Amino acid sequence: MLATYLLKRLVQLIAVSFLISVIVFMLVHLLPGDPSVTILGPNDTPQNRAILLHQLGLNKPLVQQYATWLGQVFHGSLGQSYLTHQQVTQIIGQGAPVDVELIVLSQLIAFAVAIPLALVTSRRPNRAVDRTATTTTFGLLALPPFVLAPILVAVFAVGLGWFPATGTVPISQNLATNLHDMILPSLALAVGSIAVYYRLLRSDLIATLQEDFITSARAKGLHPRRVMLRHALRPSTFSLLAAAGVNIGSLLAGAFIVESLFAINGIGLALVDAVEQRDYLVVQGIALVIAVAYVVIQFVVDFIFTVVDPRVARG
Amino acid sequence: MHVQGTGDPVSSGDRAAAVRPGEADRSGAPAPVVPGTFHQGWTGLGESMGRSDGLSRRKFLSSSAAAAGGAALIGVGGPVALAGCASSTSSGSSATSGGAASAASAGVGTGTPRRGGSAILATTSEIDGFYPPSNHWDATGFLYANTVFDPLVAVGADGSAQPYLAESVTPNPDNTVWTVRLRPGVTFSDGSALTSSVLKANFDALKASPLTGIALQIVEKAAIVDPLSVAFTCTGPNVAFPYYLTSQVGYVFGTAMIDAASGSGPATPVGTGPFVYSSWQPNDHFTATRNPHYWRPGYPYLDAITFRPIADTTQRESTLKTGAVDLIYSADPNTVDHFNGVSGYQVVTNLHDTVGEPDMDFVMLNCAKPPTDDLRVRQALAHGLDATALAKLFGGGLEQPATGLFPPGSPYYSPTTYPTFDQAAARSLVHQYAAQHGTPSVQLGTVTDPRLSRVVQAIQQMWQQVGFDVSLQIIDQASFITNAITGDFQAYTFEQFSAADPDLNYVWWSTTTIAAPGKIGLNFARNADPQIEQAMVAARGETNRAARIADYQKVNERFAVDLPYLWLGRTVWSEVSNQRLQNFAGMVLPDGTRAKPFDNGVSFTAQMWMAG
Repeated sequence: MLATYLLKRLVQLIAVSFLISVIVFMLVHLLPGDPSVTILGPNDTPQNRAILLHQLGLNKPLVQQYATWLGQVFHGSLGQSYLTHQQVTQIIGQGAPVDVELIVLSQLIAFAVAIPLALVTSRRPNRAVDRTATTTTFGLLALPPFVLAPILVAVFAVGLGWFPATGTVPISQNLATNLHDMILPSLALAVGSIAVYYRLLRSDLIATLQEDFITSARAKGLHPRRVMLRHALRPSTFSLLAAAGVNIGSLLAGAFIVESLFAINGIGLALVDAVEQRDYLVVQGIALVIAVAYVVIQFVVDFIFTVVDPRVARG
Repeated sequence: MHVQGTGDPVSSGDRAAAVRPGEADRSGAPAPVVPGTFHQGWTGLGESMGRSDGLSRRKFLSSSAAAAGGAALIGVGGPVALAGCASSTSSGSSATSGGAASAASAGVGTGTPRRGGSAILATTSEIDGFYPPSNHWDATGFLYANTVFDPLVAVGADGSAQPYLAESVTPNPDNTVWTVRLRPGVTFSDGSALTSSVLKANFDALKASPLTGIALQIVEKAAIVDPLSVAFTCTGPNVAFPYYLTSQVGYVFGTAMIDAASGSGPATPVGTGPFVYSSWQPNDHFTATRNPHYWRPGYPYLDAITFRPIADTTQRESTLKTGAVDLIYSADPNTVDHFNGVSGYQVVTNLHDTVGEPDMDFVMLNCAKPPTDDLRVRQALAHGLDATALAKLFGGGLEQPATGLFPPGSPYYSPTTYPTFDQAAARSLVHQYAAQHGTPSVQLGTVTDPRLSRVVQAIQQMWQQVGFDVSLQIIDQASFITNAITGDFQAYTFEQFSAADPDLNYVWWSTTTIAAPGKIGLNFARNADPQIEQAMVAARGETNRAARIADYQKVNERFAVDLPYLWLGRTVWSEVSNQRLQNFAGMVLPDGTRAKPFDNGVSFTAQMWMAG
């Protein structure tokens, strides 16, 4: 049953990835202008443009261009930047780990704050602690990263000098310093998630704590902490997991903004540059990788659902 | 050791004098802008948040840069200037230092230079590569280039074109052939020798490039004279030729880069510069280490230098405050305001540059498309635009609105008949036009940028107050540039024209580069004024300084009459450092004279040092 379910999801994953590649390819080519504008600038004469488009293979029919590109993808090549001549895989290889680290750290921070907070407040809802936490997280929801980041920098970097205002040391160079440098960017990205996760988990926990099996556990004399952690938490995490999965997309967008604000070299900057300069292959490559990553993450989340609640796999 | 020329009226007949076509006198002031410094995105009223000059960060029409040498570009601008924010001036740059230090000493080392150490400099943008024939260099590009390459000619503090990697640049009697003689014994970072054959190969690659070829349209051919000399034959008399060698086409690169480029791979820089390429991770850092074989004895002082692109101005400033970088560059006038007089920082700006042409912020009007093809409409738009108010709103009140290409103090400056802010006159002109054609509708465009969006909204209100129907068009940079090139616009905010010599802007103003709407034309405004063409052609070959100045004053006045450009102000660049970094604006040229200290976000790195 589980294997069938996973196989079905895998087929869907491949189909969705293919569709995304087509859509991205078409959207990129529907943008006004082409790389010749960026590469040639005012020298974009008809003659120069024709030569350049021929050199880049952009004078061929779109279907043929797509087929060529897809063929390269299947051979492990996403092509080469028209402008920098860097391999797209190299660009992604340099930037993607930064984004992955940023998102992972932000989610660890979000879970580390949201789960304990929800466990504490849900036990005694509508008390002072609960109201304070709920109000605070509600306020945090209204703080996007681009607002929060300058505040964090002003307080913790410029004011207190605890963290750098921009930049990070590569993780391969010094893990401890890297993690230290990533705290502010991760926090800026995590705050929104903290608020969402806390509120979802708190609501579900309050509902779960009204269930009969919780009453039964309490009647058996189990310690309240054990009741919360072993009996109430797991069935209450379904919405949390779903939100975390869906949240990946917005986290990617948020990560791109955080990258810019903290001058961290992720793929977001490369993607924005590529879109502006109509560097098609870079846009297509990064968009494809992001899309596939997103679909894979959803796949993993779905798999976790089946573990948390086997009824999902049964359909 | 100077660039020699017959066209220098100051030293007529003195072939040892530096050529400064059209410049006043040697005591005059500050130097011009290095040609080829193009800016993307906007700078004037401040950098865009995401990408500054870039819009951002990048380089678009920089092509032209290289190209016409005249800077190009985009986005736009607004008032700038910062009058009165600096306590003193030096060679055209304003310099202030926090605390009790001498204001004039900011950026110029006064102690004994100290060898060793490393510096980290935060730039406003990132480049797309180091290869002059195909990469787009903005201010950051020239910073990088000054680190690993050398220009053949550099701009002196007095605005003259001074030999740098070239030992001399000498014209024939009628200024049609310029012979560039290279310094002997210079080697590239890969150990190869700098020879005339390398320079010729550079020329061939640059000339063949669609990107840089336009800059070399003035050169018909190049021929090797001897192992160290190349003769460049111009298409006609050209007294400004040496200034073209200060631009992207004047930076000499090793033939290994040509070989790498022909293989479609990224070209690792091979140059003769003070530093040698070490590592570059785009959008993260560029690091270079001391060149132990640098041809200028004793330089550089630093063991290593690292550049970090930080697009956001606020974050760049914060990074300086935390001590993570030693110096930041900025095109946001507010940066000057934030650090001026603050203890612990040195501030240098290009505020008082008066030689050559500054980078201008303006609204460009399409003279070939209704309704802006009607002079009355352009006059009404000019009368209805309150540049002083814009400066107060977006430039910190430091801006001095411009009325022409050249600022007061420039040898080229002269009063013009540029329209003053006069809403009554604007309304009258609108009524005249409306009586014949109905209420004029104008679409005002700019690039996607929060600050620019506010600027155009303010202009929209001003123009609506005098009777125009104004809509806004806020689009991405690539589309914006495409529209400008093809004339598919009515009014666009723009930033352009920085140049060491006005001749480098020829292609932007010439009647020969006008095309009908829909066709590609480098005269974006489509302003067809034969008097401008005549004056520019005359100035290109003019050896009499006074006559050459008069030619460009004529050009300036014709712009005030034709109104293809509604001036907002000049772009103000600044560099702010901590007290440890020394001499970032005190570059001395090989002949012992000073180079232009700071040029539109560009400085030299060879003579910077870190105080103990």
